[in-house]
Amino acid sequence: MTLLTADDGPVLRVAGPSRLPESVSGADSAVALVGPTGVPAVEPLVMVTLGGRTAFHARCPTDRIDEIATRVGDAGDVTAGDPDDVRDHEPGRSRLPTPDLPGLRTGVRDALGACGWRRPTDPDDHEAAGGFTDPDPETVMEVGAELDGRGWGDLRQDAPLAEPWRDVREGDGDPAVVVNAHGNPADALLLESAPLEVLDGAAGLAGSLGAEEVIVYASSDDERAVQTAREAAANYPAPSVPVDVVTGPATYRAAEPSMAIEAIEGNHRLEARIRPPDLDAVGLHGRPTVVHTPRTLAQLSVALREGAPPETRALSVTGDVDHPATVEVPETETLETVVDAAAVAGELKAVSVGGQFGGVTDDLSVGVAPAELGAAQLGSDGVVRVLSADRCVVEFVGQRTQLAAEENCGRCVPCREGTTQLAGLLREVYDGGYDPDAIDELIEVMTSSSICAFGVQAGRPARTALSAFGDEFEAHADGRCPAGSCLEPLEA
Amino acid sequence: MSSQRQETADAPPLTEEIAPGTASDPPVERDAPATVTVDGTTVTVGVGETLIDAIERIETDENVPALCHYGREGIGPRSECRTCMVETDDHGVVPACSFPVEDGMTVQTGAADASQARDVNLDLVLSNHNLRCTTCGKNGRCELQDAAIDAEVEEPRYGVLDDRDEYEPIDDSSSFIQIDRNKCILCNRCVEACNDVQVEGVLRLEGSGSDTRIGFQSDAETMEDSTCVSCGHCATVCPTGSLVEKGIEDATTIPLPGFTQKNSVGKSYENTGKTKGPMTAKKRGDASGGDRSRTDGGGGAATGGGETAESDRASGDWGDAAERGGEWP
Repeated sequence: MTLLTADDGPVLRVAGPSRLPESVSGADSAVALVGPTGVPAVEPLVMVTLGGRTAFHARCPTDRIDEIATRVGDAGDVTAGDPDDVRDHEPGRSRLPTPDLPGLRTGVRDALGACGWRRPTDPDDHEAAGGFTDPDPETVMEVGAELDGRGWGDLRQDAPLAEPWRDVREGDGDPAVVVNAHGNPADALLLESAPLEVLDGAAGLAGSLGAEEVIVYASSDDERAVQTAREAAANYPAPSVPVDVVTGPATYRAAEPSMAIEAIEGNHRLEARIRPPDLDAVGLHGRPTVVHTPRTLAQLSVALREGAPPETRALSVTGDVDHPATVEVPETETLETVVDAAAVAGELKAVSVGGQFGGVTDDLSVGVAPAELGAAQLGSDGVVRVLSADRCVVEFVGQRTQLAAEENCGRCVPCREGTTQLAGLLREVYDGGYDPDAIDELIEVMTSSSICAFGVQAGRPARTALSAFGDEFEAHADGRCPAGSCLEPLEA
Repeated sequence: MSSQRQETADAPPLTEEIAPGTASDPPVERDAPATVTVDGTTVTVGVGETLIDAIERIETDENVPALCHYGREGIGPRSECRTCMVETDDHGVVPACSFPVEDGMTVQTGAADASQARDVNLDLVLSNHNLRCTTCGKNGRCELQDAAIDAEVEEPRYGVLDDRDEYEPIDDSSSFIQIDRNKCILCNRCVEACNDVQVEGVLRLEGSGSDTRIGFQSDAETMEDSTCVSCGHCATVCPTGSLVEKGIEDATTIPLPGFTQKNSVGKSYENTGKTKGPMTAKKRGDASGGDRSRTDGGGGAATGGGETAESDRASGDWGDAAERGGEWP
């Protein structure tokens, strides 16, 4: 296929659908199916580019594509066809020029640059963007000194990567590189939309570690991500190491790095391994193994061609919002910017920050950098859930805790029995038995003595909600739900 | 009799079929001697040992139950009960049974965080244990009872498992070994004895969350229907009255009129009386039929891999099942 960056005619990109109807011809334009943008609400997003100018058509039915192509062709101007926005940019741009559209107007497009712009599985597009750098090992190590792992599925969440990389390189046995895309929407987006960026980072790392294989691991529910990753691996030019794509069960705990390794090894039942020694010493089939998320590896890939990591964070906003979105923002931004990208539906009451077991707060002035999130007791897993005014925080926290009790692996007492007892203590609030000291004590022990991050984090929704919304718990103990949403079912 | 159809027993090496459902833990034992300081006392840790060996060697400031720790015959460390948490200078609170010893480590058993973790975790174990000790055949020789007495537990924070509706039936179907899962602390010793030591591949860990239980790799419901060869190693290593040898299951019960070890739970799986074949490997082939009847249909069957409801993407108020959270309240 022709290079999308050629400027000898209009290029028409379609982002969102997994395939195009065969009837679409594109008239005189080259039509390219690119990956999702991270903002489903604007998709299908049709983008017409001529030279250094791109016109955007949001929520554009695919049967309008030919009409737009014809009008642009006739006029010789991308602004024909009533676009929703037009952007000027350098010709041959390799990253999505962010339009003034919901969700997409927020932040930057560095690690997510390929999403919604380059053809996901086309090596030519990735090469034209400066990819396939084939770095020397020391360059990779230098990036690792200033790059932190992203997400709870990463072996080194919020910690520099150079140390485990050196351990792996010097360890016993053939190293393995695992790409852990399980369970996080930004990671699934990267596999669906920018798998070559992820694989390029993984291949560069594998080369520098002397790894024998790269294994991409994802949830069996993320079918499009798995399929796209497989195609990208097959298209990868002259791969230096074999790439395998495997799936694990679609349950939250399956993203935990040691359980990811158990799933890849084929265990029918997933439970956490004890550590230390950590997976970088004894991992997949006993070999030194690094486990990184696509978010981490996309940062690495960009850093390898630009000299330094972009220092951005990918965050996904869900819950009570008008249009869920995955956005990339500089680390200097705040939660407010991120939440605004998805537009709160109604009045905001609280956000749960940091994934399934995120911290609950109503303070959106907190920065998105992990250190600031950590200081505010919030999580850095990159998922922000908005709770609007009619949501009950006690109910939300109870549901999270009950989920933890049902979905934990069952191995260690503080997590297995602790989550069950914590759910019990929270239920007692409804009967007037609100005992914040007992709840705090239990969560402290779950946090300090659980085997893996599941148990360490499972108490976070309750702990943070108790401090930010203690009055709601007291109101429930008095038989009253301020949000008016959760006591009625009990009385009915 | 035992020699009949011997040619059909050409199964592949047994270990290839063994699926205990547990994780492949890394090695944690020392490969060279080291010296550590525990509560101010210098202790030498030998090859193949962990921190718990140093702690057990001296008189510590505080009691460290280390309930699930076995430390013999290649069993453990499972490190599940977390009642061996101790404070270290360099790594904070760590489990003594499975934390690799570093030469020169300094350990305190009396640090507040570690002490609290041991106490809370012991109470958490008790919260899911049938504590009708007077009807238990291991009364007086139970490691959980000993640990609770040593730790001076008088009123466990979270109570004990005393809701009879929640009890699983006692599996009294085998002629040799009885299982009372209501007393199981999931230490995994029996699974390791069965798979790693005896290489029988009968027992496994199954389920997840509060449904985690000891089950059978053959998907059998009862001990009688399982491929158990009645070697008894599981009963030998069981720290509580969960796996006991038949005949002494009520050895130490207190003779209260009307109360027996058997009716302490009130429901059980009984032996079907069917004649069984020889206890050889060939039994694996023909014992898998699931049509044997039970005298008590009291449920209690776990689902295979415990991955139930994970594909439940039914949309609801909070999105899919995982996003919605658990049933509440």
